[in-house]
Amino acid sequence: MTLLTRIFWLALRDLTLELRGRTGLLAAVFFLFTMLLILGLALGPNQDDLRKAAPGVLWVALAFAGSLLAGRAFGLEVEDNTLDDLLLVPGSREWLYYGKLLFQLLLLLIVGGALLFLTAGLFYLPLSALPGILVTLVLGSIGYASVSTFYAGMLARLRGREALLPLVLFPVVVPVVLASVKATASLVEGLPLGEVFNWWQLLLVFDVIYVTLCGLLFPYVLEG
Amino acid sequence: MSQTKPMNALTLGSLILGLLALGVGAFLAFTAPPDANQGHVYRIIFLHVPSAWVGLVALFIAVAYSVLYLATSKPHYDRVATAVIEVALLFLSLTLLSGMLWGRPTWGVYWTWEPRLTTFAILLVVYIGYFVVRSAIEDPELRAKASAAISILGAVNVPITYMSVKWWRSIHQTQTFDPTTGRSNFDPAMLPALLVNILAFSILFVAFVRVRSLLAEREAVRQEMSPQAG
Repeated sequence: MTLLTRIFWLALRDLTLELRGRTGLLAAVFFLFTMLLILGLALGPNQDDLRKAAPGVLWVALAFAGSLLAGRAFGLEVEDNTLDDLLLVPGSREWLYYGKLLFQLLLLLIVGGALLFLTAGLFYLPLSALPGILVTLVLGSIGYASVSTFYAGMLARLRGREALLPLVLFPVVVPVVLASVKATASLVEGLPLGEVFNWWQLLLVFDVIYVTLCGLLFPYVLEG
Repeated sequence: MSQTKPMNALTLGSLILGLLALGVGAFLAFTAPPDANQGHVYRIIFLHVPSAWVGLVALFIAVAYSVLYLATSKPHYDRVATAVIEVALLFLSLTLLSGMLWGRPTWGVYWTWEPRLTTFAILLVVYIGYFVVRSAIEDPELRAKASAAISILGAVNVPITYMSVKWWRSIHQTQTFDPTTGRSNFDPAMLPALLVNILAFSILFVAFVRVRSLLAEREAVRQEMSPQAG
């Protein structure tokens, strides 16, 4: 089995388990829904106000949901004592990180897609901006997932990891979230694509650096 | 059990030399010619730029120590990396403070949400987070690993902060020295004062880091001798 197929199988297995178990995904989506309703009620009902707040709302919600989902990356492995089996696979351990990263990314994109749908409806996002926001969503999610997977792996066996994970995660992902907010805001305001492109470029740079660095560092910080 | 080391000649020497250089730097800063547009207000640059430089370069030094720690797992490297970041945070706060004091007379406001200031604020948040994380994790090995990772990943922001004045339209003036063109945007008559101050800050930085690592080492030794006392 080549490394690439290994990565895909790991991600596929985790995604299947997650979709069958549903607790993590359902909790995240329901949390988001509640959050959007509260924010909509607090900031509305003026259409312009809501549209202006939408980029911030979208990314704050996704950042919170992402920290809820981050624990899922290694949560089941630790509960079922299967992490050691994975570590026994011969060869270097980077593939483990990339498999989990793919899984986290898919989870974030599923939740992010649902979130985008809800935000577009509740906060009057212009339809023409949606393709651009989708690109931003993908770029932002890659950056977010790369860091969250990394720290989830590092803290996997620690008691009280649920409390600690957001704490270590947020300082490092702040730049990604901010760049995503700015890109989304420029799209919603209908600024020329050149303006948005700068932010996409920055996001892409973050993604490449984070994904590479986290993959390189992962074998060193993983316990056992 | 390891022996506690006394403060050595290099630490003491750099501390004294740094303070002397700072004195010379201050003298040069106040005798440099006034700026054509800003008058005497510009003199804050002799505090602002050196502290920014030393603070930002220090973050890369911290990366080197963090990488060394992950590669060797020697607690010494973790202690030095933390000392470096602690001192860097001090210099970066000084940068922020002097920048705000400079912004008020030249831009009319202490703070504005423009690219350089925003990216700089993010940078500070990342490294304040570094210490929050350190205080939250009890297991020393995990603490060292987690903070090393923050130090390495956080340094990604340094070049972005540095280049932000070029990449986005910014109210902040461009870099004093532009590394991409190798050009200096600084009047030669004011240059000696700036260079001496940068030198003074660098020497002081080395001295502070050495003192801080020595303290950290002593704390670690004491913890080892009586684990309950820590």
